[in-house]
Amino acid sequence: MASLTETSLLSDLLAEPRPSTWATLRQAAETSLQAQAFPTSREEDWKYTDLKALRDTSFRPGKLEDANISEYILPEARGTRLVFVNGHFAPHLSNTSALAPGVRMLTLACASEAAAGLGSLARPETSDPFANLNHARFTDGAYLFVPKNVRVEAPLHVLFVSQQKGSDATYSLPRVHVVLERGAQAQLVEEYLGQGHYFTNAVVEVHLHEGATLSHERVQRESKEAFHITSLAARVDRNARYVCRTLSLGARLSRQTPKVRMAEEGAELELNGLALLDQDQVADTHSLIDHTVPHCSSRQLHKTIVDGQSRGIFNGKIFVHPGAQQTDAQQQARSLLLSESARVDAKPELEIFADDVKCAHGAAIGQLDPEELFYLQSRGLNLKTARNLLTYGFAAELLAAIPVPSLRRQLRRAVMARTNASDLEALA
Amino acid sequence: MSSPLEQVTSQEYKYGFVTDIESESAPPGLSEATIRMISAKKGEPEWLLEYRLKAYRHWLTMVEPEWAHVTYQKPDFQKIVYYSAPKPKEAKYQSLDEVDPELLRTFEKLGVPMDERKALAGVAVDVVFDSVSVTTTYKERLGEIGIIFCSLSEAVREHPELVKKYLGSVVPFADNFYAALNSAVFTDGSFVFIPKGVTCPMDLSTYFRINNKESGQFERTLIVAEEGASVSYLEGCTAPQFDTNQLHAAVVELVTLDDASIKYSTVQNWYAGDKDGKGGIFNFVTKRGLCKGRNSKISWTQVETGSAITWKYPSCILLGENSIGEFYSVALTNHKQQADTGTKMIHIGRNTKSTIISKGISAGDSSNSYRGLVKVQPKAEGARNFSQCDSMLIGQKCSANTFPYIEVQNMSAKVEHEATTSKIGEEQLFYFQQRGIPAEDAISMIINGFCKDVFRELPMEFAVEATKLLSLKLEGSVG
Repeated sequence: MASLTETSLLSDLLAEPRPSTWATLRQAAETSLQAQAFPTSREEDWKYTDLKALRDTSFRPGKLEDANISEYILPEARGTRLVFVNGHFAPHLSNTSALAPGVRMLTLACASEAAAGLGSLARPETSDPFANLNHARFTDGAYLFVPKNVRVEAPLHVLFVSQQKGSDATYSLPRVHVVLERGAQAQLVEEYLGQGHYFTNAVVEVHLHEGATLSHERVQRESKEAFHITSLAARVDRNARYVCRTLSLGARLSRQTPKVRMAEEGAELELNGLALLDQDQVADTHSLIDHTVPHCSSRQLHKTIVDGQSRGIFNGKIFVHPGAQQTDAQQQARSLLLSESARVDAKPELEIFADDVKCAHGAAIGQLDPEELFYLQSRGLNLKTARNLLTYGFAAELLAAIPVPSLRRQLRRAVMARTNASDLEALA
Repeated sequence: MSSPLEQVTSQEYKYGFVTDIESESAPPGLSEATIRMISAKKGEPEWLLEYRLKAYRHWLTMVEPEWAHVTYQKPDFQKIVYYSAPKPKEAKYQSLDEVDPELLRTFEKLGVPMDERKALAGVAVDVVFDSVSVTTTYKERLGEIGIIFCSLSEAVREHPELVKKYLGSVVPFADNFYAALNSAVFTDGSFVFIPKGVTCPMDLSTYFRINNKESGQFERTLIVAEEGASVSYLEGCTAPQFDTNQLHAAVVELVTLDDASIKYSTVQNWYAGDKDGKGGIFNFVTKRGLCKGRNSKISWTQVETGSAITWKYPSCILLGENSIGEFYSVALTNHKQQADTGTKMIHIGRNTKSTIISKGISAGDSSNSYRGLVKVQPKAEGARNFSQCDSMLIGQKCSANTFPYIEVQNMSAKVEHEATTSKIGEEQLFYFQQRGIPAEDAISMIINGFCKDVFRELPMEFAVEATKLLSLKLEGSVG
């Protein structure tokens, strides 16, 4: 088996000089990388996800370019926006003029205080080769900090734009580091989009201190030729509440690996996901909810809609450590198959080492309910409209809870376009 | 006060004794010579020897699987005795009187004496005692309606064409590490053949017993139900207490043709090792049924309470249109036991249906995992699956895991999976106790309620035995 660093993708990437900042983190990650092989479907973690196309492509680092982001500007976040193009900070597109006192929203390169925290949640010694690649070679990213008891009203918007220039595929290694101090509250929108052929390999770290609340929207609408892999590592402390929604609409191959640690008693988590796929898209979600202490609760809802020859993969693990009594963990995975050649693989897992817990998971895979279709038809909708409406409805449950109105509208429109339900726009 | 939920089992293994019968054994170790010796001892035809050798050569290229959620000291395959036959005092038994009295006493201690079994109307028992089938009852009566129920060795002699046709057709020798090992060295087992249109008038039953110290037991069971035939087969197991781990790698193959059905029930209570996890059986079993014909049905029911390590996934390949697969399981682990068990339902044909009900109970320091696969292939139009996997934890040191794999490649399929984890609540116990029901009884009732969906699938005698077995196994551990 080819070692990870021998594949064209990584050898190109690693040929780049190693940035000199964050040297300890990079060194540790590189040591892990050297020992890792390029993942294949023989490994349990990659059983359903074929990385051949990614392995066989060679990528060049992207350059800072101008980009048109007017469509994606959120009016609510006019003065709280960081934009990166091909992994580089784009000051002319960013605007952080409306930050509340004490709130920090800037690039990692400028945020000297971020140094200690980087890699403390997404650790370089893990077996995740893509996270390690990011640790070893990332150059910049976003740093967000909300001080004690500050409530940030405007959503913080971090936008990563990728553009292929010329014939070479490009790559970027974005990074987001979020810290909410005790009792802080914020909304974060983390968004990825682009044009052409490229590879986004991101690492996101989120630390919520005691009593903090974060509502985190993660929007992946990369180009249909793109590869997208993101590792998210979050830590939720005492009585803190983390609400995280991941929407996967783009990319030919995407993978999300959210790992959330319920680190102190009373922590609450809502981890939701929606993958809307067609053509030959592949979207893979591998989540871990790690209950390490008593009295925490977690809710997870993951929905997948597959059309065309697309493939949806969900592997969600709930781990309850010894002694984590009174854990209340519920997980639901629902998938909708819309075409003959689409495919869904689901593996909801429970690993429980404490006896006084309430844990449940459910997985359901099926097509649209004929009775529901009949009901709509009996009300005068034709079959096609009825199908589209129900498909949209399946997805809309997750969109309805998005707290940023302009983003909610944007995504509803995007989902309607994808489910051919545009004629139902009045309903939005 | 130690609440009833906290006192832990100290039940000695009730069936721990060694029957002293002179056995004729092969020296420990595995090589082509051992296999030739087994084959020669059994007077097997050339094709079967070839099959064994092919399996052996393939086995040499394989590595022991490590994906299961269990840890154990891997067996040394060169220390295992692959053949051990009780030395017959006479060449053949005509009646029970001629059977070695030692052997009869063993069964008596097990609670399944021959006499009682004779009296138990409707149950024919084929006893496998350390690899060689000793006696078969009711054979003639069944023979009259064309049913063949005999040891596999006898079937090889008497009905070679049937054995040749079906042996390895569901579990090929290259299937997995332990199936390959079994295919190379299997000594004996049961063979059942139900001809076209025949409904077997009684439950068929086998009691397996591992007796000779250090003899791995490698049974091979083959059950074939022809068009429109049906049969219910019971397998019950107990083994004496030993300190060295014993390997058990059986292969069971079921085949149903059009409109046929097989119901296969197991109560497994082998020695699980002592409280500290010393000794106990390694139970690495491959069980698989092939619903080959239209409208055919295979149903697995298992109550797994014994063995130190259980690695077992009774599966159904739903090939025929409208065929049905079922899996009902109760797995109980206590002390240091580890179980990784579940099922695979492979939907290939149109309108195939499967049901999975799995109840796991873990107590003590044990680990209990459900691992299952539901796969709907592209041509399985209208396939339907329902799975429910519930776990109950008793005590703070045990663990319960659920690893369901769901792979769907047909849009008209409907697959549902549910899993929950719970404990016996102090409140539930309190309710029983204030009604005057002692804690031990209350727990037994709660556990039986938890397992009800599975127990009602068991034949009558087994259901009674299983209920008793669970209470026995958990005695003191709950409370």
